[in-house]
Amino acid sequence: MGTLITLIVSGLAEGALIFLMASGLSIILGMMGVINFAHGTLFLWGGYAYMFSYYTIRARVILSVFPDAFQTGTQGGLLEVTGVQLQTGQVLPFTQELFIFVVSILIAVAVVFIMGIIFEKLFINRVYGNAPAQILITLGLQVVFTDLVRVIWGPNMIPMSRPPFLDGVSSFAGGRIAHYNVFLIIVGATVAIIIHRIITKTRIGMVIRAGLQSPENVEALGINIRKYFTVIFASGAALAGLGGALYMPLVGNVVSSAGMNNQILAFIVVVIGGLGNFMGSFLGSIFLGLMGVIVAVFLPAISVVANVLVMAIVLVFKPEGLFGKAVNK
Amino acid sequence: MKSLLKTENLVSYIGPYTILQGVDIEVGHGEAVVILGRNGAGKTTFLRTVMGLVHTRSGILELDGQNLAGMPTYAIQKLGIGYVPENYGTFDLLTVEENLRLAMWKEDAETMERRDYVLDLFPDLKVAYKKYSKTLSGGQRQMLSIARPLVNNNKILLIDEPSKGLAPVIIERVALALREIKKHTTVLLVEQNFALACAVGERFYIINEGKTVENGVMEDLIKDKNLQAKYLGI
Amino acid sequence: MSDKINVSDQMGSQKMKPLALVSLAVLLIGMFILPQYLKNAQLIMMSRIFLLAVYGMSYDILRGYTGFINLGQAIFFGSGVYMGVIFLNIQNDLTYFIIAILAVSALSVIGGYIMSKIVLKTGGVVAAAMITLALGEIVRSIAERWRFVTGGQDGLPMRASRVALDPLFETRVGAYYFALVFLIVMTLVLRQFVLSPTGRVLLSIRENEQRSRFLGFDTNKYKTIAIIVSALASGWTGVFFAVIARFANTDYLSIQYTLNALLITLVGGTGTLYGAIIGSAFVTWINNFLLTVANSYPGATILRFPMLFIGSVYILLVIFMPYGIMGAFYRLQAKLKLGKVK
Repeated sequence: MGTLITLIVSGLAEGALIFLMASGLSIILGMMGVINFAHGTLFLWGGYAYMFSYYTIRARVILSVFPDAFQTGTQGGLLEVTGVQLQTGQVLPFTQELFIFVVSILIAVAVVFIMGIIFEKLFINRVYGNAPAQILITLGLQVVFTDLVRVIWGPNMIPMSRPPFLDGVSSFAGGRIAHYNVFLIIVGATVAIIIHRIITKTRIGMVIRAGLQSPENVEALGINIRKYFTVIFASGAALAGLGGALYMPLVGNVVSSAGMNNQILAFIVVVIGGLGNFMGSFLGSIFLGLMGVIVAVFLPAISVVANVLVMAIVLVFKPEGLFGKAVNK
Repeated sequence: MKSLLKTENLVSYIGPYTILQGVDIEVGHGEAVVILGRNGAGKTTFLRTVMGLVHTRSGILELDGQNLAGMPTYAIQKLGIGYVPENYGTFDLLTVEENLRLAMWKEDAETMERRDYVLDLFPDLKVAYKKYSKTLSGGQRQMLSIARPLVNNNKILLIDEPSKGLAPVIIERVALALREIKKHTTVLLVEQNFALACAVGERFYIINEGKTVENGVMEDLIKDKNLQAKYLGI
Repeated sequence: MSDKINVSDQMGSQKMKPLALVSLAVLLIGMFILPQYLKNAQLIMMSRIFLLAVYGMSYDILRGYTGFINLGQAIFFGSGVYMGVIFLNIQNDLTYFIIAILAVSALSVIGGYIMSKIVLKTGGVVAAAMITLALGEIVRSIAERWRFVTGGQDGLPMRASRVALDPLFETRVGAYYFALVFLIVMTLVLRQFVLSPTGRVLLSIRENEQRSRFLGFDTNKYKTIAIIVSALASGWTGVFFAVIARFANTDYLSIQYTLNALLITLVGGTGTLYGAIIGSAFVTWINNFLLTVANSYPGATILRFPMLFIGSVYILLVIFMPYGIMGAFYRLQAKLKLGKVK
């Protein structure tokens, strides 16, 4: 029972992260008909931007509170990552830790949001309606911006710890539950609710729902849908960036291959959930997250192939995805 | 009479294919004009060209003397062209209310007045106001599609084959509604259903193979069986 | 898409003009004499160009002729490289080379078949690209974990230190001819395939899949054939590549090598087949060039990431030159012809 609870919680946490990636991907695909092969890179940039802001801001704060703290640094690329070692007995107050964490997350999200705007304005909007060109161009962006990360922060893995106030583990009904996992589930659920409300209650939501069916008919109602495309693409990017920022502390390090790995997870979710189906990607994310942890514990031998196996099985028996697809591309 | 919508030798293309090869149409203020022609003659493409959904290659395309060619679709609509697309074009995932609200330029008192008028015109929509439009019948969707642009103060209403796929009883109701609508608005109707075309249109144009080939007063066409047989296959 | 020029029509129906024939002959003779004047490093580069040209062509069969974007193509190429190294490590001779070819053939046919079964279910280009990307990455990560066969991240070197294949050749020059002959043979074979009735159907699928289906063609069957033929050619190229590179690692299985194929076809022009030869020359040369520059400026971090430049070139190509060099050439030719007729 205890193990089961531990598994479910960490599975849901994984699912929440995958969802942050997949939801943006799914809406962009469904409404704009654009498949974004650079989504994993946006995720990655979220992670690196978070890592860099977190270390930089934290070093400043610590040095201002404890001038005698020990300063370390790694230099793998163009930008130096500053680390600061607290001496025993020194602890930053909770409010400051919270401030550092929240600001770093916001910076990461903002950076990726701006990248999203640039991607859409410079590249994506040249290839609307041309699926092969979209694949090629976003794939190119993926390659370039992944290598750019390596140039800026170096190709090596950088350790990344969780903020102290989220680092604990509690016992619950015999299971051990990491606080960070609970935090991820709360963030995932909150984001899901917000997206749901935006889609069902606001004008931009009406445009999204209508655009899923026919962007052309939306435009014929006097709505400049291209303007919405930019915002939606950038928001999807920001979600991926948020996912990246939250992912790195979970796994404890930042590494440039994480982008592609997580992008593939998101793709699998989008395929099994049904292309462009928001609900499908929500349920698909939870499913994949839970399955990932369970397989890793009980069938570690197939853990690498499990996701793709599920995708293959779904495609062979239900090619439109488990929950039906919104678009046919 | 100064014309409202005017095209002269309009040529438009999709990719490498030229679809319209010279369409001359003039619609005056307050008129109700019908465009007839066989399947694939270019009628729908003509409306889509006016809306900027198909690109104009050459010729004149003007609304109230203003050139429309090259303008984006949303801007054309904002000039006051209401468009009822082929196959309804209503949004399944939106309720009737949302479909109407999405179409509104602004949500002021005047617009709400027009919405109430439209709902009186199509009582079905009032009943289904909060329902998702995917739950509507084909006839109700067509009504919603016609109702949608009417919430704005349009100069002209373009309607693409409202009779398509509807039962005769429903077509009759659509015809009644269109006769009511044309009292207030200029109407340009594309139609295959000859009865509906006769019920609404005052003048007609016939498009054949991407060109306007005939035009005149509706009564003349009704009498001219040869013309009907030649271009409409009636 | 439909304003694409039907290149294979030009390739097929147009009889070779004497001038073209002569220049082709001169080019071939030149290629056979060339090794006399090349240094070792240049020989390696030329051999690579020849082999990657075949890899590019094998990709073009799929991407250019059916419009299908396979992001897992490197699976077959990489498997070929691994097979080559593994079998030639048993014994570095022609027999084991042929065994490697046979092994990778079986693998490509089976793998290609399974891939098409999974991918063609959903129909669209987008879903296919997403799924093949996932398949490719999975194969790569399996290979990375399967250490005792693949050597994991360290890679798998070939034991014999010299470039040789007993009894065919034992020098770099021999390897050059080996690769050149492979290129010539494969060009003829793939050309034949493209011009065959099957190739014609593939082209018609690219132009308008629905129409081909209405005409009664089982389009999925033809796409499966294209996937398998392309997988076979890529796999074989991989084995040849192993002989030259004498090393296998998971990079050859990764998206990076699929991108290489994409780039090669894109530079040369998709759907032109021969474009891949130009593309391969360009891509290999630029890689070499960047490597040389990076070696002479060890301080410049940015130069250590060739994909940064290659990826940028690639993006610019997609935007500004979507038909590639051969595509531009055929378009110019078509325009000139049109001019003459007028």
